[in-house]
Amino acid sequence: MRGRQLEELKMALESITDKKARSFLTMLGILIGVGAVLILVTVVTGMNADMEAYYEKLGVNKVYVTVTQYDRTNTLDITDDLMGYVASDMSNIAVGVTPDIEQSGTLRYGGNTNDSAVIYFGNEQWADCNNYTLEDGRDLSELDMDNRSMVCVIGAYVAESLFGYIDPIGETITYNGYPLTVVGVYYAKDGTAEESMDDAIVVPYTLNRSILSTAIITDFTIKVETSDDMEEAMSRIESWLSENLDSNTSEYTVENGNDEMNASEDETTSLSLILGGVACISLLVGGIGIMNIMLVTVTERAREIGIKKAIGAQRRVIVTQFLVEAAVLSGLGGLIGIAIGYGGSLLIGKAMYDLILVPDTMYVVASAIFSIVIGIAFGLYPAVKASGLQPVDALRAD
Amino acid sequence: MLIEIHDLRKIYAEGEENEVRALDGVDLSIDYGEFVAIVGTSGSGKSTMMNILGCLDVPTYGEYLLDGIPVKERTERELAEIRSVKIGFIFQGYNLIPSLNVWQNVALPMLYQRVPLAERQQRAMDALAQVDIAQKAESRPTQLSGGQQQRVAIARAIATRSPIIMADEPTGALDSKTGAQVLGILRSLNAQGTAVILITHDNGIAAKAKRIVRLIDGKIVSDQPNVPDEARALNENM
Ligand SMILES: Nc1ncnc2c1ncn2[C@@H]1O[C@H](COP(=O)(O)OP(=O)(O)OP(=O)(O)O)[C@@H](O)[C@H]1O
Ligand SMILES: [Mg+2]
Repeated sequence: MRGRQLEELKMALESITDKKARSFLTMLGILIGVGAVLILVTVVTGMNADMEAYYEKLGVNKVYVTVTQYDRTNTLDITDDLMGYVASDMSNIAVGVTPDIEQSGTLRYGGNTNDSAVIYFGNEQWADCNNYTLEDGRDLSELDMDNRSMVCVIGAYVAESLFGYIDPIGETITYNGYPLTVVGVYYAKDGTAEESMDDAIVVPYTLNRSILSTAIITDFTIKVETSDDMEEAMSRIESWLSENLDSNTSEYTVENGNDEMNASEDETTSLSLILGGVACISLLVGGIGIMNIMLVTVTERAREIGIKKAIGAQRRVIVTQFLVEAAVLSGLGGLIGIAIGYGGSLLIGKAMYDLILVPDTMYVVASAIFSIVIGIAFGLYPAVKASGLQPVDALRAD
Repeated sequence: MLIEIHDLRKIYAEGEENEVRALDGVDLSIDYGEFVAIVGTSGSGKSTMMNILGCLDVPTYGEYLLDGIPVKERTERELAEIRSVKIGFIFQGYNLIPSLNVWQNVALPMLYQRVPLAERQQRAMDALAQVDIAQKAESRPTQLSGGQQQRVAIARAIATRSPIIMADEPTGALDSKTGAQVLGILRSLNAQGTAVILITHDNGIAAKAKRIVRLIDGKIVSDQPNVPDEARALNENM
């Protein structure tokens, strides 16, 4: 039995190699389809990886609170109360809470300046909430808050741009003229590039009065343990805010930091769906191409089919012959497509993401199987048609 | 009876202006082990008859019993099985498969009989040797002359060792020496019990058979036992 199948495969291969140009053109649809699918899937995978890495660095499960006070004369600063509430009543779901005010400005040390850095006003939990880890020195402390210490902890790019090879700990930089002593340096987490997350410093939020000339803190970040707790954390913060803020003079917003990530995840998901659809259409077209050629082949080889039936071939034999031929054609197209998919993915991965991207094995195996299945599916009609020819009619055909 | 046909008709384009009655009411019985020649001029319906007897075609009207069983009651699978196991064909137009080489062509019917490859090749080579063409075993049919292709077609029919051989003008493309050789093979197969149905327009060749059926315009006009030439010569010398 195995011998016979091998012979059938050999015969199919021979009739394919007999007409190389035509076989290649027939495969083209499947080849392009599979190649395109693999490349597109890899590109989307690259995009996803890129995006995930970004949100990984940014830190997930953050709730952003923004308060707007209209009555500037009779303002109530909620900072201590909010931090107290999170620390005591939400300790089961919240990792930390920090004021989180973003400013720009000029940093100077000696002759070096940095205009691109973001200056954050935060507390001792700011680093935890925003995914920074200390590399050297110390982090901000509660004491710094109480004492309004003129200190800062700097990101890796700020350290590099202002200090080069000098140890920054203990040195004093200026921020818009205000002297700040560097007490710590954070690990690089975003490539130590200008305008990256490493181009940042954090100072005690209690410097707001002296540096920013504002009496109240309006922006906070609360870091939540897991994404499952986000909804609950938000609703608890919202109800706390509505109880503790005078609705006549103030407004607040509570934002889910994961929303943006989820939105871009949705975007790539729908992108992959669209690409998948396009790929399916191209494979369908490829399949129709195979069916077309197989129908022509059946007509061309009517005489051969007639002879085979006349000397005793069962319908099954004829069906198998044409199915094997169609499957080998599309399978071969699929293989070449996979090769193209690999090459294309490597090229595009290098060019777009500077990564070595190769198609996922699962997709490679799936497209190999799928292309063979397409060959069989679209070869079936021609094969059945061939096997149904009456021997005498087929013999008479020329 | 091996073959029984009653009032067999094959009508092409029936009822139309260009209607052709290729077979027009034929009754015929052929027994196991017979050697029958069907003779007639071109267009008399010989090939049409062989196609029906060989289960390649179906009659328009009439009955055909093979081994006592009506052929029209057979399923497609059974018909394929009959063509594979029971009948060895030698077609008028050779009908070799161009993409296979000579011995593969000869071995192909045995593939459908599930004969193992080694035995298939062996039997194919033996059959090719019997018709003196073994030296061309690896050639493609298109590289052979008409007579050589004819002999390959014959080898293909005899290699199957079917109990019936149906030959449509098997000597048509052969010189008289090779033709005589082919007839000799058919006769020795017949001597071993194979039923041979030989179709020819040539009375000289028909004379080698044991029974001669004459067809004119799709009708049997005579059906007689034949005393082979050698027997007659022997008789005359006495
Ligand atoms: N498919 C067909 N359609 C219409 N007419 C046909 C068909 N096949 C055969 N005929 C006609 O049937 C008649 C018998 O044909 P057949 O082939 O049986 O003749 P034959 O005796 O084998 O002749 P030859 O000795 O030339 O081979 C012829 O008149 C032929 O034209
Ligand atoms: Mg004929």
